[in-house]
Amino acid sequence: MTPEEAVMTQESDASVPEVSEPGASRSGEAVGALASPRPRIDVSGAATPEGRADTQTVFHCDDIHVYYGDFLALRNVSLDIAAHEVTAFIGPSGCGKTTFLRCFNRMNELIEGARVEGSINYHGVELYQDEVDPVEVRRRVGMVFQKPNPFPKSIYDNIAYGPRLAGAKRSELDDIVERSLTRAALWDEVRDRLKTSAYGLSGGQQQRLCIARAIAVQPDVVLMDEPCSALDPIATGRIEELIAELKTEYTIIIVTHNMQQAARISDMTAFFSVQANEMGQRTGELVEYAPTSLIFTNPDDPRTEAYITGRVG
Amino acid sequence: MTEEVRTEFHQLMDEVRADLVQMGGMVAEGISAVTAALLAGDIGGADQIIAADDELDLLSIETEEKCVRLLALQQPVAVDLRTILTDLRMISEIERSGDLVTNIAKAVARLHGAELEPRVRGLIDRMRQQAVKLTAMAMDAYAERDAGLASVLNDMDDVLDDLHNEYIVSVFASHELGKIEIQHAVQLAVVGRFYERIGDHAVNVAERVEFLVTGELPEHLGANRARARREQDEM
Repeated sequence: MTPEEAVMTQESDASVPEVSEPGASRSGEAVGALASPRPRIDVSGAATPEGRADTQTVFHCDDIHVYYGDFLALRNVSLDIAAHEVTAFIGPSGCGKTTFLRCFNRMNELIEGARVEGSINYHGVELYQDEVDPVEVRRRVGMVFQKPNPFPKSIYDNIAYGPRLAGAKRSELDDIVERSLTRAALWDEVRDRLKTSAYGLSGGQQQRLCIARAIAVQPDVVLMDEPCSALDPIATGRIEELIAELKTEYTIIIVTHNMQQAARISDMTAFFSVQANEMGQRTGELVEYAPTSLIFTNPDDPRTEAYITGRVG
Repeated sequence: MTEEVRTEFHQLMDEVRADLVQMGGMVAEGISAVTAALLAGDIGGADQIIAADDELDLLSIETEEKCVRLLALQQPVAVDLRTILTDLRMISEIERSGDLVTNIAKAVARLHGAELEPRVRGLIDRMRQQAVKLTAMAMDAYAERDAGLASVLNDMDDVLDDLHNEYIVSVFASHELGKIEIQHAVQLAVVGRFYERIGDHAVNVAERVEFLVTGELPEHLGANRARARREQDEM
């Protein structure tokens, strides 16, 4: 099995019902396996919504290479992610955009054989050093997945799950749940059925629930991996509006196949492409990173233009 | 090498391009035809030219409809977006030039009975030559996506402007000498202005072509002054 297939398999395995849902099982494992007695390091200046450091750059990435075993999936990516902006990653399948997204909260570590080289500096802290607790990283850098993946629990417990693990007091939970659901524009729709199963919600509501769950632990950054690809246009519109509202409090990085979506919601766009070497191995690379308005009116690189205008398959 | 994945979209864009080139050609031919009618005092010929403008109007509306459809249905971006924005602007410029040809044609009847001096006739023909040349060059720059060619049009238009000034002086000198009546002199002056405006529209087209190719909107001195004032006010 190639490492790419391994990734695929993990994703498809995760959607088998009894493993609950992908994000659920993963973050569950993450918490169990990685919240070890490893020394915590303060991710300085890091920016909960209340105490945000007054910095512009959240992530500074320098010369990132990602391998799955021997396979080089992504090479040579350097870019900065700005605070309170929506940054979109676009590009064809296999270009490494999701792989890159996973670098920001060390999710790649959950994939057997995955290895990240280069530097990702998060608010002045080197993300990939042993002293950094990946669980803490994932609390600060939350993730929303392609398919809505609520836990098989009540709406309330979906939101309360993370804060409980983080040690929130029972008395605080009601507030956290209401605040998170309100922020995710879901409160009015679910306030009367908080104790019912999250599976009773529509797809769009489930995805907003997942966003509410992600922000319940007061992260600094929210990563979104094609959050609307399973949703209808109305639900998609709601999520897009929500993203625009959330960026006042959070920094958002989103992977999307929908270029119009990237154009509508993002401030910065990174276009990734994929190139095959003589062995037929396909490695992703960053082609162009620029303000979204520029990418979609006058991109610099002919490959970007060819891709977004549909002149390349 | 490149695999086209939006064939129909880009075919429709090519159609619009062909429509615009055709419209530009109609205007260039119209300038020559109306000048011939003007110099010959051919009122019947002028009337045909006026009627022919309807075709240009129809084509411009059909082309605009195609552009609207492209914008609404295809979500064009980058060079495609710039092309359609350019197309829309160009439709108005070319259509307006067509109206100016019509205006010249309408003057033919009003100039009935006026005896034009050889010098005035010569200047009219040279203005015709420049107006046709500028229109054709602007359309070539568009068809070939040639920003370099487009960039020289503004300077070239000076030739037409100079001819226009020289022509106005000649027309009124001719009147001073008692060769033409005042209402004819005024009518001729207005006709000169129409040629000069056709040149301006060609320059506008060329500026849009530069935008299409480079993504840079044309420099505008007045706008720059206003921007400077606005920035000063904000300080």
